[in-house]
Amino acid sequence: MLRCHTLPQCRLLAQPGAGMLRRRVAPGGTARWGAAARVSGVEASPARAAVEGGERTSMAERLRLGSLLEDGLSYKESFIVRCYEVGINKTATVETIANLLQEVGCNHAQSVGFSTDGFATTTTMRELGLIWVTNRMHIEIYKYPAWGDVVEIETWCQEDGRIGTRRDWILKDLANGEVIGRATSKWVMMNQNTRRLQRVSDEVRDEVFVHCPKAPRLAFPEENNGSLKKIPIRTDPAEHSRLGLVPRRADLDMNQHVNNVTYIGWVLESIPQDIIDSHELQTITLDYRRECQHDDIVDSLTYIEEGEEKCTNGSAFAAPHPEEQRQFLHCLRFSGNGHEINRGRTVWRKLAR
Amino acid sequence: MAGSLATSAFFPGPGSSPAASARSSKNATGELPENLSVRGIVAKPNPPPAALQVKAHAQALPKVNGTKVNLKTGNPDMEETVPHSAPKTFYNQLPDWSMLLAAITTIFLAAEKQWTLLDWKPKKPDMLVDTFGFGRIIQDGLVFRQNFMIRSYEIGADRTASIETLMNHLQETALNHVRTAGLLGDGFGATPEMSKRNLIWVVSKIHLLVEKYPAWGDMVQVDTWVAAAGKNGMRRDWHVRDYNSGQTILRATSVWVMMHKKTRRLSKMPDEVRAEIGPYFNDRSAITEEQGEKSAKTGDKLDGDATKQFIRKGLTPRWGDLDVNQHVNNVKYIGWILESAPISVLEKHELASMTLDYRKECGRDSVLQSLTTVSGECTSTGTMQHASAIKCDHLLQLESGADIVKAHTEWRPKRSHTAFESASDEIH
Repeated sequence: MLRCHTLPQCRLLAQPGAGMLRRRVAPGGTARWGAAARVSGVEASPARAAVEGGERTSMAERLRLGSLLEDGLSYKESFIVRCYEVGINKTATVETIANLLQEVGCNHAQSVGFSTDGFATTTTMRELGLIWVTNRMHIEIYKYPAWGDVVEIETWCQEDGRIGTRRDWILKDLANGEVIGRATSKWVMMNQNTRRLQRVSDEVRDEVFVHCPKAPRLAFPEENNGSLKKIPIRTDPAEHSRLGLVPRRADLDMNQHVNNVTYIGWVLESIPQDIIDSHELQTITLDYRRECQHDDIVDSLTYIEEGEEKCTNGSAFAAPHPEEQRQFLHCLRFSGNGHEINRGRTVWRKLAR
Repeated sequence: MAGSLATSAFFPGPGSSPAASARSSKNATGELPENLSVRGIVAKPNPPPAALQVKAHAQALPKVNGTKVNLKTGNPDMEETVPHSAPKTFYNQLPDWSMLLAAITTIFLAAEKQWTLLDWKPKKPDMLVDTFGFGRIIQDGLVFRQNFMIRSYEIGADRTASIETLMNHLQETALNHVRTAGLLGDGFGATPEMSKRNLIWVVSKIHLLVEKYPAWGDMVQVDTWVAAAGKNGMRRDWHVRDYNSGQTILRATSVWVMMHKKTRRLSKMPDEVRAEIGPYFNDRSAITEEQGEKSAKTGDKLDGDATKQFIRKGLTPRWGDLDVNQHVNNVKYIGWILESAPISVLEKHELASMTLDYRKECGRDSVLQSLTTVSGECTSTGTMQHASAIKCDHLLQLESGADIVKAHTEWRPKRSHTAFESASDEIH
């Protein structure tokens, strides 16, 4: 069967000349098995990557379990939820989901030939000392997967204005194809050394966006969706807070900065216990403002956000909260000088206990 | 075959949108039940061969029960929820042919999807079975094997998998072993006889030796098995290898005791539990006696000369650190233990062995402090050649005094890029 040869882990592939086998299963192969192949998600890294990567593709690449879709414009991978990624509700934590989003983003970048040093940069970017930095992250989860569930995540990126790029994700339960979550993120380019933002030059644009859909494709196509909502700053005292949070060694990325997912954990720290016990996180939006390092101390503040009175376009987010929903605004700031690190919004739905 | 799948699927009456029915039958813990998988699709091709059965249904032993194949933990109770999801449209509107056609297509696609999943399981080499990490029992039921791909967020600042990642894998395989063997009661790891008596396993000691740290994208293979530990305890061992090269990554052994869930008091092993798990005992040891002796025990005093103490206070559990019982997960302690290890040790050395003694558990409101006593060369001057072996004693305790974990670690100078690491760097 054709599919046998797509086994990335097959020992055959570790031998020289195995590249030949894989190339045979390129677009034509995946097209034939269409839905089935996509579901199994077990194709080897696509032939394109093999060709671009030159003769010696890395072990990591060959074992990559996800794959680019036929048109090469998006990437799909499946993950099983492990027991230690499950939290107090017996379902995956939002940090686990965020980690998986990051993982599939990295794997996508790698499969189209971007660097594997964790920064997903193109050759030109590296020459100019440029890296991508997250600006905003917005995650909506409709149904949390449990231990042993398999989540299929599709991701793609595209241009976003002149200085930015966005990456979108759709999460599905592999067993039935149901959409269990969506996410989007905005990125800007920054000079690694000066830490200043930089416009995406045409050179870089060509390198990066050749792999992205030309027609806009949005995980959140609906108007006035939550991912676009501004997050205001609050000056009144916070209803809830947790002060003196400290980064752990495991929170630091290769650059010795606190990684994006840790901020999510900190935001949740100041949510009151009764909400944690009775609700589950439906939406989280985070605006990243400043970076944080190992020796910093952080305060997490939570403000209740009331529903708005006006309805715009009848969007659910603008209407007053339904009974089962709670909404909060958040601020993470340095304990010392009070400067803002992140700003956030969370929406919680009542658990059907 | 597919045709008969589609038609036969009509009669058990699956809802045309499993999602809708699923949402309405969320169970008490907020976890949606198994009816989200393609439940009710009568997917019964050739029964999968013995080696693969363990994947098909988690709860009961190997029999695929003929009608349902779930990717998740099976739960016999779910049979009863089937009638709740009244079939939505095509049943009641059979004369509407377009609806019927749409329904047939949906069912067919779903069945094909499910059947495909079944289909590739039996034929493919073992590795594919573990693609999604279910693992399987090997060696006549005495060893459980599971593979893991190292994910990007599991690596540390030095681009290799952190010790916490490796220990997380050990924990996952332990649970999957119990589950696959059909011994999963309620609550993680407890067998049915234990759950009846409100008993749970509690880890008392872990000893591990790391030979090599895997990098992002590596595939590791974990073997695990159990044995008796004295009269009332259980020993669980692991042997982790690099999947491709077969080289050993890590060996570990652990001792578990039984505790009553409510009283938190240790308990003897009831005969019924011994009968459940006894058949799985395997005398093999991951760590031989000589290897074990080489790394000191936690009680031993460090060499008198040049010891330094370091402390890190104010450590608090976050929501993500807690398990379903709102206790701190065992593996999190390791991160805290290493918090007080000086940077000079961590930068130039890698953990070669670790022995952990778990004394007391802690929960959400605990505030802890981590103490490390270091002996051996750990100055930051000089180049890597001057780094030598280091030994440390660690103590993690509540700021109010009680000991949570005692540990002993031994470190060796970090190796320069092995051939393996440079292979994964090639893509740059």
